[in-house]
Amino acid sequence: MLKYLANRVLLSIAIVSVALFLLFSMIYLIPGDPAAVALGPRATEAMRDALRIKMGLDQPVWVQFWNFFTGAWTGDLGNEVLSDRPVFNVVMEQLPFTLALIAGGMTWSIALGIPLGCLAAVRQGGWVDRLIGVFSVAMIAVPSFVVAIYALLVFAVALRWLPAIGAGEAGNTGEQIIHLILPSLAVGLGWVGYIGRMVRASMLEVLEAPHVRTARAFGLPDWLITYRYALTIAILPTITLLGVGIGQMLSSAVFAEIVFARPGVGKLVYDAILTRNYPLVTGAVLVTTVLFVFINLLADIIVGAFDPRVRSRF
Amino acid sequence: MDNNNLFKMPRRKFMAAAGAFGAATMAYPGMSVSADGKVLTIRSYSDLQILDPAFWLSIPESDIIRSIFAPLVEVEAGDKWDWKAVAVDSIKQVDDLTVTFKLRDNIGFTDGYGQMTADDVKFSLERIADPALESPYAGDWSALKEVEVKDKLSGVIHLKNKFVPLWTTTLPTAASCILSRKAIADLGDKITTKPVAQSGQYLLADWQPKQKTVLKRNPNWAHERGGFEEIHIIPIEDPATAERGFEAGDLDYTWTSVSSLPRLKKNPPPNSVVLEKPSLAYVWLGINQDAAPFDNINLRRAVQHGVDRQAVVDAAYFGAASVANGIIAPGLPGNRKKVTYDYDPDKAKALLKKEGISNLNVTLDILNQSERLTAAQVIQANLADVGINVEIKQNDSGTFWTLGSKDGNYWNKLQLVLSRFSMQPDPSWATVWFTPEQVGVWNWERFNNAEYKNLHEQGLVESSPSKRDKIYKRMQDLMDESGSYVFFTHEVVGAIHHTSVEPGLKPNGESLFPEFEPS
Repeated sequence: MLKYLANRVLLSIAIVSVALFLLFSMIYLIPGDPAAVALGPRATEAMRDALRIKMGLDQPVWVQFWNFFTGAWTGDLGNEVLSDRPVFNVVMEQLPFTLALIAGGMTWSIALGIPLGCLAAVRQGGWVDRLIGVFSVAMIAVPSFVVAIYALLVFAVALRWLPAIGAGEAGNTGEQIIHLILPSLAVGLGWVGYIGRMVRASMLEVLEAPHVRTARAFGLPDWLITYRYALTIAILPTITLLGVGIGQMLSSAVFAEIVFARPGVGKLVYDAILTRNYPLVTGAVLVTTVLFVFINLLADIIVGAFDPRVRSRF
Repeated sequence: MDNNNLFKMPRRKFMAAAGAFGAATMAYPGMSVSADGKVLTIRSYSDLQILDPAFWLSIPESDIIRSIFAPLVEVEAGDKWDWKAVAVDSIKQVDDLTVTFKLRDNIGFTDGYGQMTADDVKFSLERIADPALESPYAGDWSALKEVEVKDKLSGVIHLKNKFVPLWTTTLPTAASCILSRKAIADLGDKITTKPVAQSGQYLLADWQPKQKTVLKRNPNWAHERGGFEEIHIIPIEDPATAERGFEAGDLDYTWTSVSSLPRLKKNPPPNSVVLEKPSLAYVWLGINQDAAPFDNINLRRAVQHGVDRQAVVDAAYFGAASVANGIIAPGLPGNRKKVTYDYDPDKAKALLKKEGISNLNVTLDILNQSERLTAAQVIQANLADVGINVEIKQNDSGTFWTLGSKDGNYWNKLQLVLSRFSMQPDPSWATVWFTPEQVGVWNWERFNNAEYKNLHEQGLVESSPSKRDKIYKRMQDLMDESGSYVFFTHEVVGAIHHTSVEPGLKPNGESLFPEFEPS
């Protein structure tokens, strides 16, 4: 397990390093002058030059990259262009909102996807299975921003059951949960389909396994066989899928945060790109990259802990 | 509990639980939060970044700054551009170079910084004008010589030269907000997001980045009170999101997109009022006279005659805006009705034929917004009819606003560009961006005309409205003659508010927070 763990950690470090290089290349290749955007139309040329120097944009590209690379690994993300606040603080203010959104989306996808997958597996070939299949594919096919907009129009604008904008009053957990329902549904609904299909496929495989047949022979009830003996094994590929799903949900979060005017890292990055706020873009993307890599590492560790076959491959 | 029981909920119990859930959801109606007259919830299009009157970045920041740091004067709410006193008891222009003022004697600064004095006025105005501070708003006080302190509350603003925009775009703006000399000295730098020594009708009580800014009535403000105990400002960039937020009952007031106005006017949400205000902004098609093929004036003229301005405006704004013939909005000196060119495809074709061109390929750069794209598509169709093929290039805002900059390498490739500038209520604010000094800065058409520059400088010191009217009309004639401009519209400003709120707005629809009242 230790060798497996070391391999996974080293791989994660390599992934983050490559991501840093790609991130720097992409951000600095796009056109646009952050000094002009940040200072506005009334700034003088001297003021723009001063800001460019302050941001290090007058340095050779390789110097800029080295400063960025070493700064990222030492936790120094610099200060953002507009308010001069530390990027790390700005990102950390927004991160909990995005994490809550993803956790909410995961809750929707797990709470609906796993039971639907199990139900489809135990009713394999029947109309329930086919209906769930159609529903799952439909959920995968519909983009999250479409779900977001329709959910908003129906439940917030037409019915006025749920709020349309914001993240709820700070410190008021109940209100924050109410504000989370629609955006998290928009983020998580697509993954109901993925998880449902994955659980169904795994369950079908496991339900044919000898230990399940033995359990049936002993006369154990179907629900016990399904949830205790089959699902505990069939869930392992789903855990890996959830790790990937969190990354996808991070990108869906951008839409949800814009449509529902929620704070969050996705919207922070979107706004920062539009204003060419380079330190904020790089800092926020770096934090989310590390988060994504960490979650996948965690998923690998969990799967490795439960399944010795995975460990033996490393 | 036996696990089996989870799946054996009696039908009656299930129905009761479902009913309770339904009742619980209905118990969260999207009612307006201002219904009690205490809290006003309003949308701004951007979050705050800097609360310094010398460095603010966007109008929503300026709105907050003018609420928490008392300005000498402020724009008066209503349909006419006028001002009213806020921090001053009296203020008077004695002659072209002298303005006297006397502060109200009981305006205090928070955080223990004592009473506002004439010395604080001297500090605040001279601070913005000081080149060492590098304030982008130094130009507002470019005519300032000094502020003379007469006594604790009285002083004199001395100008170096006559400066007509003083009462329209300098004094009733954040440029006249008063800071505490001692507080800024203690701070050692500019104010960022944590204001010290606030003095306005409201105080910044809370800022949750990207989520909410809360202003509370200043309990020590001894004069006209703001209409609401609290103002909650929600930053929402996208107007469509804000419209949905309003319709869901989460907002009491918001600007809307212009294209939504016809729909909202025809079918307003319950208990709401839709407003349409004249905008000062101006939208135009710019033609770069230094980039081939438009270094040929006949080709620029062909574009002027090849675009159906009425069709462009109707399509982009769904009939909500009208065509403009210049950059200076109605109500300001220099607003022009004269049309020196108009849609004449035959004339456009003749000009192209004269130059021996039958099939011209050009690019049109736009900001990636739906109204701009619609306008660009009509321009594309119009110009295709006369033999000019237009490729539309959409840009995000970070790219778009640097396209014509002399620091980049695109300015000499930029051919056509669809632009919109916002405005302050003085014509000089519109004309300044097209002077020769602005070539490669904001003058992307690279229009370079000495007469225009002289007229602009005359306009700054000419106080006769009729003479100013002539000056600014002539300047727009010169822009027409250059062939580099096709003027479209000043747009309109759309806004919507709950009937429980009486909004306090400038004539162009910008907010005056302390003027909002419960109705």
